[in-house]
Amino acid sequence: MTVNNTIAHQRLILSGDRERFKELLRRRLIECGWRDQVRMLCRDVVKENESNNVTFETLVTKVTPKARAIVPDSVKKELLQKIKTHLLTQKDQ
Amino acid sequence: MNDNGCIHLNNFKAAKGTNPYKIVHAFFVTCTSFEARRYKATSCLCFTCGKPGPRMHSCLHCIFFACYDGHIQDHSKSKKHFLYVDLSYGNVFCAQCQDYIYDRELTEIAMSHRMKEAKSLGISVPFMPWLPNNNEAMALRRLRKRRLISPHTTIGLRGLQNLGSTCFMNCIVQTLIHTPLLRDYFLGEKHKCKAQGSGKCLVCEVSKLFQEFYSGAKTPLTLHRLLHLIWTHARHLAGYEQQDAHEFFIATLDVLHRHCMNGVEDTEKKENGRCNCIIDQIFTGGLQSDVVCTSCSGVSTTIDPFWDISLDVAGPGSLQACLERFTRAEHLGSGAKIKCSKCRAYRESTKQLTLETLPIVASFHLKRFEHSSQIDRKISAFVSFPAELDMTPFMSSHRRAVDMGAADNNNAPEGIFEDNRYSLFAVVNHLGSLDAGHYTAYVRQMKGSWFKCDDHMITRASLREVLDSEGYLLFYHKTVLEYECDVS
Ligand SMILES: [Zn+2]
Ligand SMILES: [Zn+2]
Ligand SMILES: [Zn+2]
Ligand SMILES: [Zn+2]
Ligand SMILES: [Zn+2]
Ligand SMILES: [Zn+2]
Repeated sequence: MTVNNTIAHQRLILSGDRERFKELLRRRLIECGWRDQVRMLCRDVVKENESNNVTFETLVTKVTPKARAIVPDSVKKELLQKIKTHLLTQKDQ
Repeated sequence: MNDNGCIHLNNFKAAKGTNPYKIVHAFFVTCTSFEARRYKATSCLCFTCGKPGPRMHSCLHCIFFACYDGHIQDHSKSKKHFLYVDLSYGNVFCAQCQDYIYDRELTEIAMSHRMKEAKSLGISVPFMPWLPNNNEAMALRRLRKRRLISPHTTIGLRGLQNLGSTCFMNCIVQTLIHTPLLRDYFLGEKHKCKAQGSGKCLVCEVSKLFQEFYSGAKTPLTLHRLLHLIWTHARHLAGYEQQDAHEFFIATLDVLHRHCMNGVEDTEKKENGRCNCIIDQIFTGGLQSDVVCTSCSGVSTTIDPFWDISLDVAGPGSLQACLERFTRAEHLGSGAKIKCSKCRAYRESTKQLTLETLPIVASFHLKRFEHSSQIDRKISAFVSFPAELDMTPFMSSHRRAVDMGAADNNNAPEGIFEDNRYSLFAVVNHLGSLDAGHYTAYVRQMKGSWFKCDDHMITRASLREVLDSEGYLLFYHKTVLEYECDVS
């Protein structure tokens, strides 16, 4: 991570916009059913390993790649576009 | 899985209380103030390697920050500090149990911090799914009967007998029954009636009606009692002749709202003195009217509540075009001078209507019936309407931004985070001529599942069919609900 990157990141946190974007993303993922799909993926992992105690780590390693892959392109695009325009207007100020 | 923590966390809480968690959480996980955001922005780096991640954690014992790439584990081992907090999500990891631990008390702290954060950022409170409390959990265990809603269920669908020419009432009832938030309100038995059992409360009658619709029975219902109650309370609608469905819709909302008002139900009034009954919570929006004096450019602004928007139908067009016309600045001409408070004289002016606040359910009335002294006629022009509608262009705030030159106001943060999207959920159609007509309705039963309600007959319909129909009343529901913050 470069210095510039860090500063941009710090500014995002400071202004609260990072949380606003996070909340926007959270909503979109709930709306499109992604969260429910991920919940089902987690259930499958727990069911497969019913005999042994499933830890958070197992869930993360097994579910993350699949969960990442099913994030709809429309959601990624919207967030990317909005963050881009937002950062550009910030730069002008 | 339980939420009673683990023995290690409980020992820690017994010794040090919840304060260490509260501090870490309020400053570095969910910032509840600007000061907290400043701390978070500058200090969330691994004390060992200086990197901002991956998965930053803070030791709960000594507030030592380290990444999950081995450094927080190193710290935990060497200091014997076994509990650490994930700074992204606020969960507590116990190194002795080797897993994240759920603790009801800490979860509640995290929840209240999230509310405070939303308030400090000026965004709506994040959606919290329903969690059963102890009583509800017990009741669920006791009552074992479950109703599974399958994708092909017909639950909530029932025909309504025509009692003469009462199709105007039937289609409005179908619309109200399929209004998502109203359904949730009544099926959740939220109407606490003071006049219980008197048989006079219209809200109770509607509440019963919801139970009937969702009971699973399929035979058509008869709305004698409802019709009688509405007639008693809205005299101008009495009689068995055909009525206007739009007029009936507004009258029904009014009667329901008055029943909530008249001490039948305990409703808290908002500070602004406006009614906060369920009807107003769902259907009321604010219409802003700006009158600009052409001499001095002084603006006088008024905001009036509305339950629906009546739109002129000039000819074929679209709902968006109608709304565009509705919110366009209009020159009032020399025949309609208005007294300007600045000039202290009657002046020519322009007037513009915009939407100041949006209701949860946006109802549009296409003025297809023209009544004048010379002629009564129906305009059957096709007006297209979308399944998904973004109301942003018709908002007062958007118009202001456009006027100030920031035409693509997607740049303003408010523009980015504001969500004014609506989804179509009901359409009322008028078929035939002015005096020999018939009303039917299309309702959305579940996402993507539409039905046509023609009195006692219910048939499956496609979205295409709905959108191709000659709409008279169009009902849209807000796609994403915003929650108000109760934190002080
Ligand atoms: Zn420590
Ligand atoms: Zn590190
Ligand atoms: Zn433990
Ligand atoms: Zn009642
Ligand atoms: Zn009211
Ligand atoms: Zn003036």
